[in-house]
Amino acid sequence: MRSGRPLTGILLSIPATAWLAVAFAAPMAVVALLSVQESPDPFAPVSLVPSLVQFAAILGDPYFLRIIAETIALGLGVTAGAVVLGYPLAIWLAGLPAKWRPYAFAVVLIPLLTNVVVRSLGIVLLLAPDGLLNSVLRPFGMARSAGFLYGHFAVAVALVQVFLPFMVLSLYDSLVNADERLKQAAASLGASGPRVFFGVTLPLSLPGLRAGTTIVFLMSSTAYVSATILGGKKVWTTGMIVWQEALQNLNAPTAAALSMIMLAWGIGFAFLAERALRRLAPWLSPDRPRSARRFELPAGLVRALVAAGDVAGPWIGRALLALAIFLLLFPLTLVAVQSFNDVPQATVAGFRAFTFKWYAAIFETGNYLGAFRNSVELAAAAVLCSLAMALPAAFALVRYGYPGRPAVVAFWMLPLALPHVAIGVGMLRVLQWYVAIPPFMGLLLVHVVLIVPFCISLLRTSVLQLDEALEQAAASLGAPPWRVFLLVVLPNLAPGLAVAGIIAFLISFGEVTVTSFLTTARLTTLPVRIYAEASFSLEPTVHAVSTLLILATVALLALVNRFVKLDRVWAK
Amino acid sequence: MKRLMDRRSFGKTLLGAGAATLASPAIFGLNAVAQIRRGDELVVGIWGGAQERITRQHIVRPLEEKYGVKINYVLGGTPERRARAYQERGRPSFDLLYLNIFESRQAVKDGVTQAPALDRVPNAKFLYEPAKLGGYGVAFNPVTIVYDKRKASAPVTSWKDLWKPEWKGRIAWPSYPGAQGTAGLLMAAKIHGGSERAIDVGFQKIRELKPFAAIQGSQDQLYTMFDQGVADISIEFGSFTRSYAETRNPNIAIASPVEGQALAQNVACPTVGTTKQALVEAFVDLHLGEACQMAYARETYYSPTVSNLTIPPDLAPKLVLGDEVKKLVDFDWDHVISQQAAWSSRFNREIAG
Repeated sequence: MRSGRPLTGILLSIPATAWLAVAFAAPMAVVALLSVQESPDPFAPVSLVPSLVQFAAILGDPYFLRIIAETIALGLGVTAGAVVLGYPLAIWLAGLPAKWRPYAFAVVLIPLLTNVVVRSLGIVLLLAPDGLLNSVLRPFGMARSAGFLYGHFAVAVALVQVFLPFMVLSLYDSLVNADERLKQAAASLGASGPRVFFGVTLPLSLPGLRAGTTIVFLMSSTAYVSATILGGKKVWTTGMIVWQEALQNLNAPTAAALSMIMLAWGIGFAFLAERALRRLAPWLSPDRPRSARRFELPAGLVRALVAAGDVAGPWIGRALLALAIFLLLFPLTLVAVQSFNDVPQATVAGFRAFTFKWYAAIFETGNYLGAFRNSVELAAAAVLCSLAMALPAAFALVRYGYPGRPAVVAFWMLPLALPHVAIGVGMLRVLQWYVAIPPFMGLLLVHVVLIVPFCISLLRTSVLQLDEALEQAAASLGAPPWRVFLLVVLPNLAPGLAVAGIIAFLISFGEVTVTSFLTTARLTTLPVRIYAEASFSLEPTVHAVSTLLILATVALLALVNRFVKLDRVWAK
Repeated sequence: MKRLMDRRSFGKTLLGAGAATLASPAIFGLNAVAQIRRGDELVVGIWGGAQERITRQHIVRPLEEKYGVKINYVLGGTPERRARAYQERGRPSFDLLYLNIFESRQAVKDGVTQAPALDRVPNAKFLYEPAKLGGYGVAFNPVTIVYDKRKASAPVTSWKDLWKPEWKGRIAWPSYPGAQGTAGLLMAAKIHGGSERAIDVGFQKIRELKPFAAIQGSQDQLYTMFDQGVADISIEFGSFTRSYAETRNPNIAIASPVEGQALAQNVACPTVGTTKQALVEAFVDLHLGEACQMAYARETYYSPTVSNLTIPPDLAPKLVLGDEVKKLVDFDWDHVISQQAAWSSRFNREIAG
């Protein structure tokens, strides 16, 4: 890895930093300022003398400490689950012929198109006392009379389902760029499948693993919607407490202080993941390579593990793949079935009667179409802006070191680590400024802030795995830098850009927390609309909306695949 | 020679003209605020679902047709819109806000929403007493015990029945804060000799009921729990539970405890600083009108807050009307809301944890 000129790095970093400074630094500063306020009164004047009263109250209270520990444990558990289920899925995805990849992508991405409230209902039906899991376990005598709902397990399952696509796509990004010949070489030297995985595939996918684990941990430790629906209020996460303090108790300082603590552990985790990557994959560091102190197991143990792995490995891999696909798709089939169910509320299990009325209701009442159009326009604009900023930023991260770069990178990742509720509360305080600008611009500013860390993280993985020899070859043949970029770099980045763009679109499309603070009467997005319905009583109309979205996406993918040669987009 | 005017009448004319000149800005001012102009836009924060549907049909459509105005809804639950209204105090982006009983009274005290002007809204003269505080009460939604009658040894007739051994481990306790959770906590205190100012006995008695089958955070969640057999008894809005029992689960019964059902209310709150005062008041007037109140009663079993309606005999037993409104248990909501942060902290630790 050659190092480029620091000045180029700084210039490439400017767009992302400037946007975040304008749109994120203000609410972020508000949250920081609120966290050092003494008085919880919503109308107390803001004092510029910092007080650590809020932090002392939180960190000195065993209840809060227990909740913090449980939330971190939940995040780690969900991340581990996502890794274990994500690898088989990502390997399967990367190994498919390019013709079939769009459909496999659909399997992974479609859950992200369904509203999280709706998906959680599917998990309820899975884990209920009369649900599928209990029915499977009953012959073995392991069924629980109360089902598996309303506890940490249910919340973990729901969160794994919600965040698995992000892990799969991060890993896919790495795996698709890995050199096939290395795997073939290992196989030709006599390595069995599991050995190839642990010895070749896994190390090569470490950048993707780093990005995936960081994203999944940060998102699952700040989540609160799934925890609220599936935890039955017996499960408390810090995200739920932030929401309760900020919105129900109107106690912004405590909420802000807790958010800053969540921010701290998020940054800590990202830092540790970065260090782990450098230690485990020294060939990727642009600095001088350090000798990797490998962690060596005793030789006898290794032989035993390898033997066991050779036998059980492929079966375990297939079982995990099936489990992953089931977890992603089963709740959605329930959603589709429920959309034809003639019942008054969306949560009813058991099929009563067949009806199309919920589909009719979409077009008649409630302006779902308008909200859908708003969501699509907003998401498309947000994706374009994010990619335009994230690409130079990723290059700056990988190739052009300059002093202070780690601090800039940490700033870019901050929106990931701050709970969305806190961002919303911070936004509220600067609301009068936001109201002055057109609503679409205001929402666009915020959505890009929320998406850019994902794009940078994913594109960084792709840029890391670019083969510079190709660019040098093009340059040596006389191509100017812009031609090299257009004809060599961009096509090689196509899979990474596609993945980043799709994830960015889906995140923006599904964002509800911050958007519900900024929504105005004329500009409502689809998830806010659905969330508003859930605030009263959810009718199966939302299931019909989700089913239509899924069908439309699959149809669109099939159509595009038919007429446009997108093989290069899905594979190199 | 006859003058046009003698001095006295000239003086009177001058006085009259002067008075008229001094009064005219006030008249113009009154016109500007108190009149509904064509093309005005109103922003209303309200819940979705049936609430949106009913109000669009019975309020929005007549108003838009009659005055040529546009009414925009911002849909959602009370937490987000209340936080926004507090943030925007004095420069509101909502003209009218729907809140619950204790949020509305606190919002008036904090100067975020207006106290009701009963003389300016014609239908407000029919309001029951509890519906005149903190805004215009638009629906009574009492909270009571709901249970699976197959699992009960005898029908539930008192709040104290929750402490019977047969319900141990089968209770879905409502989360606090929230109308149901607040009612549960306050009634637990009241029937055991406490009150909103002596709440410890309430927490203590609720702790005795642990372990709970679950803590429910909304009526939808509770009904799923009933469907799945996770819980058999809870504290919930009678109105929604009646709809649920009639359409989904005939095993669920709604109790009428001797101590009374707990009062809960939806309240329409005009914001302080709204520039569409007359339109807001016209909106509220229609909400208190017969068409809208009857639609709510029929579709969601909300009890009307106005006393001038004729309720058909098949609907009357399912609602709380007339003298029964006086039997609804009301609390000192100002004190309750002031304790919310402390009590929710205790609830999280002692009951939900």
